[in-house]
Amino acid sequence: MATREVISNGNELSALAAKDAGCKFFAGYPITPSSEVMHEMSDLMPEIGGVCIQMEDEIAGVAAAIGAGMAGVRTMTATSGPGISLKAENLGLAQMTEVPLVVVNVMRGGPSTGLPTRVSQGDVRQAKNPSHGDYRSITLCAGSLAECYTETVRAFNLADRFMQPVFVLLDETIGHMHGKAMLPTEEEVAAGIVPRKTFDGAPEDYLPYECEADQPAVLNPMFKGYRYHFTGLHHDGKGFPTEEIETCRKLIQRLEDKVMMHTDELELNEEFMLDDMTGADGEVLIIAYGSVSLAAKEAIRHLRAAGIKAGLFRPITLWPSPAESIKKYTDLIKNVLCVELNIRQYTEEIERVSGRLDLEGLYKVNGRPISPNEIVNKVKEVF
Amino acid sequence: MARNLMRFTGVGGQGVLLAGEIFAAAKIKAGGEGLKTATYTSQVRGGPTVVDITLDDEEIFYPYANEGEIDFMLSVAQVSYNSFKSGVTPGGTIVVDPNLVHPSEQDRKTWKIYEIPIITIAKEEVGNVITQSVVALAIANTMQNAIDKQILVDTMLSKVPAKVHAANLKAYELGEKYANEAMGK
Repeated sequence: MATREVISNGNELSALAAKDAGCKFFAGYPITPSSEVMHEMSDLMPEIGGVCIQMEDEIAGVAAAIGAGMAGVRTMTATSGPGISLKAENLGLAQMTEVPLVVVNVMRGGPSTGLPTRVSQGDVRQAKNPSHGDYRSITLCAGSLAECYTETVRAFNLADRFMQPVFVLLDETIGHMHGKAMLPTEEEVAAGIVPRKTFDGAPEDYLPYECEADQPAVLNPMFKGYRYHFTGLHHDGKGFPTEEIETCRKLIQRLEDKVMMHTDELELNEEFMLDDMTGADGEVLIIAYGSVSLAAKEAIRHLRAAGIKAGLFRPITLWPSPAESIKKYTDLIKNVLCVELNIRQYTEEIERVSGRLDLEGLYKVNGRPISPNEIVNKVKEVF
Repeated sequence: MARNLMRFTGVGGQGVLLAGEIFAAAKIKAGGEGLKTATYTSQVRGGPTVVDITLDDEEIFYPYANEGEIDFMLSVAQVSYNSFKSGVTPGGTIVVDPNLVHPSEQDRKTWKIYEIPIITIAKEEVGNVITQSVVALAIANTMQNAIDKQILVDTMLSKVPAKVHAANLKAYELGEKYANEAMGK
């Protein structure tokens, strides 16, 4: 893989990725700690003939972005947890109408306005179900500066593949930290773009929502002669409201199955210093994601130097969770420590998929990062 | 080179963020690894601000300085000095602007404290208060010997507008001079 060196922060790298992935439209409303995404998009979009628009509020920001997605272009919005709360209704609309969209959430302390300038991972549970009803969230979580770029690129391709919003979770630490990232080249990213499927038959035969039971809707770009309807109500193959029993059931079941029957296309993890784990007594498995994984890696260096065999499992796709991979490692290794900047939001998922209720945890919710020393001390204390 | 941990503290709006970015970028250009993180309050202007700079030849994962391990701190605001001094390792170096920060006697026993009137130098000798971050940059690099001076200066110039290159170069030279004087060189 060819690479290029870029010195930047996580938020700006996410914006650069959007441009390189073919995003042509950004709408949002600035909010700390995500504002640099929008600042950067306001520079990048005009350069390529795209649009960056500051709307009147968070709700309008996502609504405009969804509108662009309906029209057929790659589109993004960026915000933080309070913004997701406001956008929730429209995110449900995008799930129901199957409009692809990338939503970057740079997490800060919550609930409500919380701690605007400080780090948190408190939106992990929110990302799973921001809106009511049955659908499956696709949520990616960057654990390095380079991943702020690569996961945003992946989000655009997944949004078009699965025809729904895709979350990219950053957090204040990773969004604002400034340093070196080794990135794939623009050409390489461009070559990897897989646009959404389109229907090229006769317009009168076009039924965008009548598709295979495990496949997303096929939404042609607007203004090309293919007419269909968008609604948040249960709808038929053409997109018009219906209460027909079987059509309603099939629609919602398909929203579930289009994701859950293809989790192999979504799963992505990092396994850091796990390859020499044998299941012997005293081995320690740390599970962490996002910026917390940086502290975990540093902690593992210290633990290994002190003779404690520790390793990290880091889910990059948080939702759907990598159930089998988590089960594999939690079956192998007895001592498991979950580390999160929230109170057990992902630990509960790890408990569910591992079937274990004896996991240790280190959680922090005061807006300050978890340091490597705190992880080292916790490991020494509990195992 | 072992890991070099530096901390710049001030209040929002003083330009300490940019100084951190310049340090990290210069180290990367020199072939190493550099990371800058900033912590500030939602009170952007006037709230205590801290910038941690980590420089290393090895890959850096955790971007913040571990408390108690910082080699060098520079502070231009009492509120920030009070909040963040505990991160400095005993025997480490702290530079303060004596017009704005007043260390206690106990502090002077714990750390090597140097007093350099950074803001006054920028305002009166350079003639532009905004250059205080470059004065600070020069002091930090002179005392820590962290990065080749030419790479740091070139990186600094690449991040400021051309019309203020001369002022910023002057600010760097003055910072270096005062740092050497403070250390008795």
